[in-house]
Amino acid sequence: MGIAHVRALTLALLVATPLLAHEIGTTQVTARFNRDHTYDVDVVTKSPLVRGANLSEAAEIRFGGVRVKPEVIRLPDGTIRFHGDIPRNAGPFTWRWPLTFSYYALTIGPRQQWLDGDTTSSPFPLSADLLPPSRMDVVKQYLKLGFTHIVPGGLDHILFVLGIFLLSTKLRPVLTQVTAFTIAHSITLGLTIYGLVSVSPRIVEPMIALSIAYVAIENITTSQLKPWRVAIVFAFGLLHGMGFAGVLKELGLPRSEFLTALVTFNVGVELGQLAVIATAFVLIAAWARTKPWYRPRFVVPASAAIAATGIFWTVQRLL
Amino acid sequence: MKRIAIVVIASLAPLARAHDFWIEPSTFRPAVGQMVSTSLRVGQEFIGEPIPRSAQFIDSFVVREGTKEKEVIGFENRDPAGYIRVEQPGLAVIGYRSKANPLELDAAKFEEFLKNEGLESISAIRAQRHETAKPDRERFYRFAKSVLNTGATANWQPATQSFNYRFEIIPETNPCAGTPLRVRLMFEGKPLAGALVTALHRDDASARIRIRSDKNGRVTLNLPKNGVWLIKSVQMVPAPAGTNADWESLWASLTFER
Repeated sequence: MGIAHVRALTLALLVATPLLAHEIGTTQVTARFNRDHTYDVDVVTKSPLVRGANLSEAAEIRFGGVRVKPEVIRLPDGTIRFHGDIPRNAGPFTWRWPLTFSYYALTIGPRQQWLDGDTTSSPFPLSADLLPPSRMDVVKQYLKLGFTHIVPGGLDHILFVLGIFLLSTKLRPVLTQVTAFTIAHSITLGLTIYGLVSVSPRIVEPMIALSIAYVAIENITTSQLKPWRVAIVFAFGLLHGMGFAGVLKELGLPRSEFLTALVTFNVGVELGQLAVIATAFVLIAAWARTKPWYRPRFVVPASAAIAATGIFWTVQRLL
Repeated sequence: MKRIAIVVIASLAPLARAHDFWIEPSTFRPAVGQMVSTSLRVGQEFIGEPIPRSAQFIDSFVVREGTKEKEVIGFENRDPAGYIRVEQPGLAVIGYRSKANPLELDAAKFEEFLKNEGLESISAIRAQRHETAKPDRERFYRFAKSVLNTGATANWQPATQSFNYRFEIIPETNPCAGTPLRVRLMFEGKPLAGALVTALHRDDASARIRIRSDKNGRVTLNLPKNGVWLIKSVQMVPAPAGTNADWESLWASLTFER
């Protein structure tokens, strides 16, 4: 590289530095907008002004001019992190930090903005995918996720529900079992998501498979709804709820609409189960349940097949 | 809630202006041969943020012992900005002179700054020209000095030598001992009369002195207690044509411990 090149490069660098300000200090600020609709603003500084200061009061974080109250986290390396939820319909992000005397860089992704002391940054518009979804969007999305987790996604849950359905040709036993199952899985879904209950999938998943085998085997031995059957279906419901929770955790819940998502996912699961029962009823039971062959030729072989599948999965999931 | 926010903003408002610049060594009383890290600070009220070493700003950064002058070495973009080793007993003086750098301040902040720094004459010129509402476009220069004392205070004369800075605070008595302390303000080689000089104690904000220089550019400071002191003054002059600025600000400071 010749001297002329070096000079040209140096000149370019000087021109590129928009220096109309104080000396560059030790302060560095990095803002991030996360997929879970939260923001992080990390401040690294040696400014003595931070000592004893009310940091959450000092950090002026705004979206569309509306100030938000961040949580303050001190990281082990001394970084001060401001963390919080991006508001719904958030406008452009702005930042102001009065606890420095010098010139510093605010970095957002590949972009850098130089700020002098306590001046306010220019607005940074957030892309639409970073903004929290509306409540209606969450309802639609999680209803669908819940439903598709059963149909077509959850063959094990389908078989369990069919097992419940095949017990009796009467409406009442089916309703009683479905209600017990629903209440139970709603309880553990909620408790697990909120972290109050935690059972390893290595226990839950084989138990779900076993529950399928159980209801199907009992269908072969009886067509009466025994009281213990309701209790057992309830207990299995608790297990299935933990299974749903595992899936829901993997999908993730929007922080802004946590409860909405949880409830609508559960409703979606419920609708999926009812769809299975309704389909089974319309296709077979509606016309065949009064036929003498319905139980020996359909219920017993179908239950046997379901039981075999359940036992196979139990063994498979244990290995 | 709104009221609290307003109160906080108001209490932080005084920060919103131009800032002092000084040198803060890791110790003002090194032993001969000891390595001293030398931090540059920008701030107010003797509370300063460290400034990493930057070739873009430094015009000269040296340490003087008697007639010997050495560069202060350091790593670019790192704080502390420099390292020195005092080699002789007596007083050593670190000197920092910056290049000119542009700064813009909005009109209100600039007027507030002029008032705080005793530069009402500039404010009056702006008013005369109907420029009070005009934002400030200036070039600023830093002239900071710091006195290190190895304990052999009999040898204090080197502290009175001029660095020939455009604007400079020059002690005329031993800054590290004896009271009162007399300093002289020199601007472009001549004594500067009527300039506001402020003395600040690092650990006691109440021990502050504000005094104007006499016709010979001198001030006599009865520093009320021992400790680390910062003496500072700011001058503002019209910027030369073609500099894309209206004013030049010149910031002189002197730090020492007594």
